[in-house]
Amino acid sequence: MTVVGRTWDRLTLPGKVLAVVVPLGAIVTVGLGLFVALLGAGIVRFLGDNLPLVRFVAAATAVLVLTIPSAFLIIYLELKVIALMNLRYGPDRVGPFGAAQSVAHGLKVLSKEDFTPTGADVPVFTMAPVVVFLSSVMSLLVLPFAPGLFGQDFNIGLLYFFAMGGLTVVGLLMAGWSSFNKYSLLGGLRSAAQVVSYEIPLTLSVAGILILAGTMSLNQIVIDQSGSFLDWFVFKQPLAFVIFFIAVTAEANRTPFDMAEADQELVAGFATEYSGMRFGFFFFAEYVNVFIVSGLTVALFFGGWNAPIAWPWPVTVGLDPGSLGLGLLALIALGPPALIVALALPFWLTNSRLPFWQALVIGFVLFNLVAVAAFLGLAFLSFDWVVGIVWFMLKAYAFVFVFIWMRGTLPRIRIDQLMGFAWKWLLPAALLNLFVTALAVIVVKS
Amino acid sequence: MPASQTPYDIPAHASTDDPRVTLDRQLGVFEPIPPYPPRTEREAEFYTLADGQMFVNMGPQHPSTHGVLRIVLKLDGEKVVDLDPVLGYLHRGVEKLCENADYHQAICYTDPLEYVSSLFMEWSPVMAFEKLLDVTVPRRAEYIRVLSGELLRIASHALYMGWFALDLGGITPILWSFIERDEIVDMLAALTGQRLLFNYYRIGGVNGDLNHEFLSRLGAWMSRATEQIESNQGLINANEIFVRRARGLGAVDRETALRMCWTGPNLRASGVPFDVRRAHPYSVYPELAFDIPTREEGDSLARYLLRMDEIRQSLRIIDQCLHEMPDGPVMAKLPRLLRPRPGRAYAAIEGPRGQLATYAISDGSDQPFRMRIHDPSFIHLQSVGLLTPGNLIADTMAIMASLDPVMGGVDK
Repeated sequence: MTVVGRTWDRLTLPGKVLAVVVPLGAIVTVGLGLFVALLGAGIVRFLGDNLPLVRFVAAATAVLVLTIPSAFLIIYLELKVIALMNLRYGPDRVGPFGAAQSVAHGLKVLSKEDFTPTGADVPVFTMAPVVVFLSSVMSLLVLPFAPGLFGQDFNIGLLYFFAMGGLTVVGLLMAGWSSFNKYSLLGGLRSAAQVVSYEIPLTLSVAGILILAGTMSLNQIVIDQSGSFLDWFVFKQPLAFVIFFIAVTAEANRTPFDMAEADQELVAGFATEYSGMRFGFFFFAEYVNVFIVSGLTVALFFGGWNAPIAWPWPVTVGLDPGSLGLGLLALIALGPPALIVALALPFWLTNSRLPFWQALVIGFVLFNLVAVAAFLGLAFLSFDWVVGIVWFMLKAYAFVFVFIWMRGTLPRIRIDQLMGFAWKWLLPAALLNLFVTALAVIVVKS
Repeated sequence: MPASQTPYDIPAHASTDDPRVTLDRQLGVFEPIPPYPPRTEREAEFYTLADGQMFVNMGPQHPSTHGVLRIVLKLDGEKVVDLDPVLGYLHRGVEKLCENADYHQAICYTDPLEYVSSLFMEWSPVMAFEKLLDVTVPRRAEYIRVLSGELLRIASHALYMGWFALDLGGITPILWSFIERDEIVDMLAALTGQRLLFNYYRIGGVNGDLNHEFLSRLGAWMSRATEQIESNQGLINANEIFVRRARGLGAVDRETALRMCWTGPNLRASGVPFDVRRAHPYSVYPELAFDIPTREEGDSLARYLLRMDEIRQSLRIIDQCLHEMPDGPVMAKLPRLLRPRPGRAYAAIEGPRGQLATYAISDGSDQPFRMRIHDPSFIHLQSVGLLTPGNLIADTMAIMASLDPVMGGVDK
């Protein structure tokens, strides 16, 4: 023991790390190898037999992993866009144009103390952010990003979506109740009242689309809108779109309906007592929600991944790399250097003070840009899901911008005005829309 | 936690010996328990909760109280039943400090009382001391005072626009209102050397004549001021949500406003055309042409719109000052050490929030024997208790913001 102890003490820090990591790595590698060798065939067979399950797990993992970058992007956009509206610079220190600001926010949130107030209902207090975050993330599962690119194509997709949206309220209510703080309690109850009220016009406004599309599957609804932009449901259901957009803003707790976290009244509403990563979950959930409701608006009313005009895409590229034979080898070996030199030469020739190696560096960077652009362009031309995701993201982020724009412009509505608006205006309008749609469908069909 | 231990079961009049209060402290819960026994009948009544009511502490660290004000709200759901403002978090004893400083030094103590528009808090003590000393201020100095004062009135009202919108939940107007405020404050910094607490008015005149930088900036700003201010207001004046929330909010009729001793824009928004600049003229205001805008509604919207009207009148006054300013000295000839004859003097001016007044008594020494400062913010803040009950919790801060108090002046 003493020998081992003395040797361990003499090691430097990297030595200690290596002394632990190398044997561990060896054990894990050998273990994995044995695992695959013994059980691999069985696992593959099991996965092959349960493809929907595999698909679900893969989609859920992808969604969980991808929500954080999208939340980061929207947080950065919000900071920057509102700053420009406010005549400020906004974040400009972390990364180019402050682009890594939300990463810095994330790290800050991770490194902060995770504080639980005395008197809080600890299990509920701990679970609340998880419920809120998961319920937002789970709704992403049914969102069709592109043809064939969605988590799960439920035939009750829309219903599932609203159910998950309703689950957020439970999380907010849990946070409000368990925090042992009256501001939190008021915030939680406000959000519950608000979401329960706005759920009704929200669902009713979509009923018109369900009549027209005849399905609740979001994927099928998007396919129904293919063609030119005139086939989008926003032109067939303009009133429904207005109602839906207002209700969905309230559902996502965004300005002017951000009752639950009205900082001028309730300090931070349901999140008052939260700190650290628990607060971070609320924060992320809010911005993931913004993306989700934008995506849902696009999928329901703006044709989802359909291009505005039916372009002749995808085209098939009639180049078979295999037919080149040895020429392919020559192309891979000589093509990049030749292109780098070709791109570098103009800089070197036009600028006499530039050394050749610097021109080569410029050429290399340019070559990479060209190669990536060519690759993406080829992908864009060849695969319809790339086209789809580009259009979907463009439209979705346009709506994200609208949400940010509203936040920068509008004051907050009062809680009684909010309720009155939902019950006195939105609900009758949604019912009227449903009635007119149903009537039109009957008249057209008969 | 068992139900019997929730803080809601603790009676309002628990004494400090009460074990439940100790529990309360252990739980880290802050309930507004009054001194026991209650000192007044009002206190006893306020701190007794009816069924379904609860207390909520707003402030002193709440994000939207204007300064360090604490309001104990008695809520029934979202509705405010009653409230108890608790003052004194910013009390510095300025009046007493002034009585231990000589007449020149007193000005820099009064300055921070009105930290949004500090020139006005210099103006009224300076005028009172001038009355005590029987000094005649040079006309150019008076014009400079009016000019800088009206500039700062615009800055204060512009800020009001932003704060009011911020308390209604809009985040952009506050930053737009700083366009004007920053420009004016920079201008005055060129004139006085300070951005916030100018300390520019002196007994017998002002500290330094107008300089080139100030005048060139003022000229550049004046050429675009009207247009720019109106375009800034466009974001909220035409906003349906803003107008619907502010209309009818905290409405006060003429008689109540007079009974509550309101002055300034708040009183004029209730339909009383009282303005110290016209009612008890001082400085060179009698020579200047300007209107006193009034409104009849008396609600928060009227208070907001009236201030926006006043900005236009202030621009008119600045224009006239620039055209009619005479040449001459900016400081009266005075000895270094001021010893006024025994007597008393009262001077009131029209600040951006209402009547600012100073009452000074001299005993013949070089320090004021007694100095009393009348601040409009305190008078207006009293009415929060009258206006808020019956409204929702969301409107508490909006009503307070519409009265435009500055806590520095309230607590003194």
